[in-house]
Formats: sequence, structure tokens, C-alpha cells
Amino acid sequence: MTGKNVWVASFAAAVVIAIVLQLAGSPSVAANDQSSAANAEVKIDNFSFGPQTVTVPVGATVTWTNRDDIPHTVVSTDGLFNSKVRDTDEKFSYTFAKAGTYPYYCSVHPKMTGKVVVQ
Amino acid sequence: MLYMPPMKGFLGTGATFGADLNLVVQLIMGTALIAGARLAKHKRYKAHGICQTTVLLLNLFMIGLVMWPSFRQQVKPALSKGLHKWYYEVAMLHALLGTTAELLGLYIVIAAGTNVLPRWLRFRHWKWWMRTELVLWVIVLLSGIGTYCAWYVAPFQ
Repeated sequence: MTGKNVWVASFAAAVVIAIVLQLAGSPSVAANDQSSAANAEVKIDNFSFGPQTVTVPVGATVTWTNRDDIPHTVVSTDGLFNSKVRDTDEKFSYTFAKAGTYPYYCSVHPKMTGKVVVQ
Repeated sequence: MLYMPPMKGFLGTGATFGADLNLVVQLIMGTALIAGARLAKHKRYKAHGICQTTVLLLNLFMIGLVMWPSFRQQVKPALSKGLHKWYYEVAMLHALLGTTAELLGLYIVIAAGTNVLPRWLRFRHWKWWMRTELVLWVIVLLSGIGTYCAWYVAPFQ
């Protein structure tokens, strides 16, 4: 193989590898992004919701987990969802079917507020 | 339909306005009961009766306004699971002692201040029962402060 052919072969190999990586890699990256956004988690700890604002796509499920050593509730200001009192390590989930901004609070400790933005 | 969050408290803890108001009112009522007991010691029985009855009725109002709704929302759902956490236990203990103190107080007021009850339903040892009620009330007040701290004061504060 001449020097020119080596360069052509290397370039062709690089192009093929790039195309393969592009085809194989892109969907998995997109899938990971969708997955993390669709299953948002909110932790309740130290008398606060974290993160305080969570952004999810339409149809996503948000799960609140009480990591505090005191019971809390998750109550939507517009009456969309209303959890019962959640003990330590108990969860509450809600699936958001429509776009919009949904503020919520803990009815036991009204200083605790949060927001779900559905896009 | 819009759900308004309960008003935030004014004592700087995580409590609602109602819980903070109740705590302040309970402390004032506890002081008034002790002052009322001193009125009896100075033989001012009419003033003593008015003072203790007012506290008892005001407490009944606070039970209906703040304590029973809180108990129904926060503690009652956990009763079916058993009182598995200390914050439920302290609230339940406060509720039981508080109910006993309120009922005993109402009985004392009705028996001592009215002629509604037949003679055989009235007790004889007035001082003993009234002192027992006062001691019980102080215990209830302390357990109420404990309940407030357990539910509304964050460990880090």
C-alpha cells in the first residue's frame, strides 16, 4: 500500500467510525435525556422540597420522597393533587398530563413550597 | 378550584398560624388557671369560678378550631398503622391527657357552678379534684409544648 493509499484508507475508516458512532450514540443520549426528565424526583428533607422547582415534559411522573424525620404532605395550590400525610421514607407520585406551572406546598408546614413546571 | 395554603405562623417555626396562635393562647390560659387558683386561695370564689370557666370554654373553642382539625389530618390516618413513630406517640398522649383534663374540667364547672347534676353525681372533695385538675392541666400544657416542638420545630433550628 502506497503512502497516498494509507491516508485515503485512514480517512475512510475515520469517516465510517464517525458515522457508526453517530448512528449508535445519538439515540442512546436522547433516550437518557428523556428518561431522566420523565421520572423526576423531589426529596423532602430538612423542612424543604429539593429541588424547589422541577421541570418535566408532559406525561412525566414526579415522585416526592419524604427523607425528613417528620411527616409532610404535598398539596397542589390549584387542587390538582393532594397527598395524605407521608411518613419518613414514604412516597407520593403524580403524573402531569397538561403543560403548565403547578405550585404546591406542605399543608402541615406552609412555609415549605415548591413548583413543578410541565413543558 | 383553588386551595389556599394555610397561613404561615408568626413564631418563626414551620407551624401554621393556627398552631402558633394556639400555643400562645395555651400559655396564657395556663397562667390564667394558676392565677385563678390563687383567687380561690384568697377566698374570691366568684372571680375564681369565672376565670377557670372562661379558660375551660376558650380551650374547648381552641380544640374545635385548631387541635381537632390538626389531629384529624396529621395523626388520625396513622392510627390504623399503629403509633410507630415518636411524633405520633407524643401527639396521641397529649390528645388523651387533654381530653381527660377538658372533660374533668367541664364536670367540675357543672358540678360546682350549677345545680344541673343530681346530688349523688356530685363529688365531695372539691379541693382535691380541683388541684388534681390543675396538675393534670399543667402536664397537658407541657405535653402540648412537646407536641408542637416535635411537629413544627426542625432539629437544625
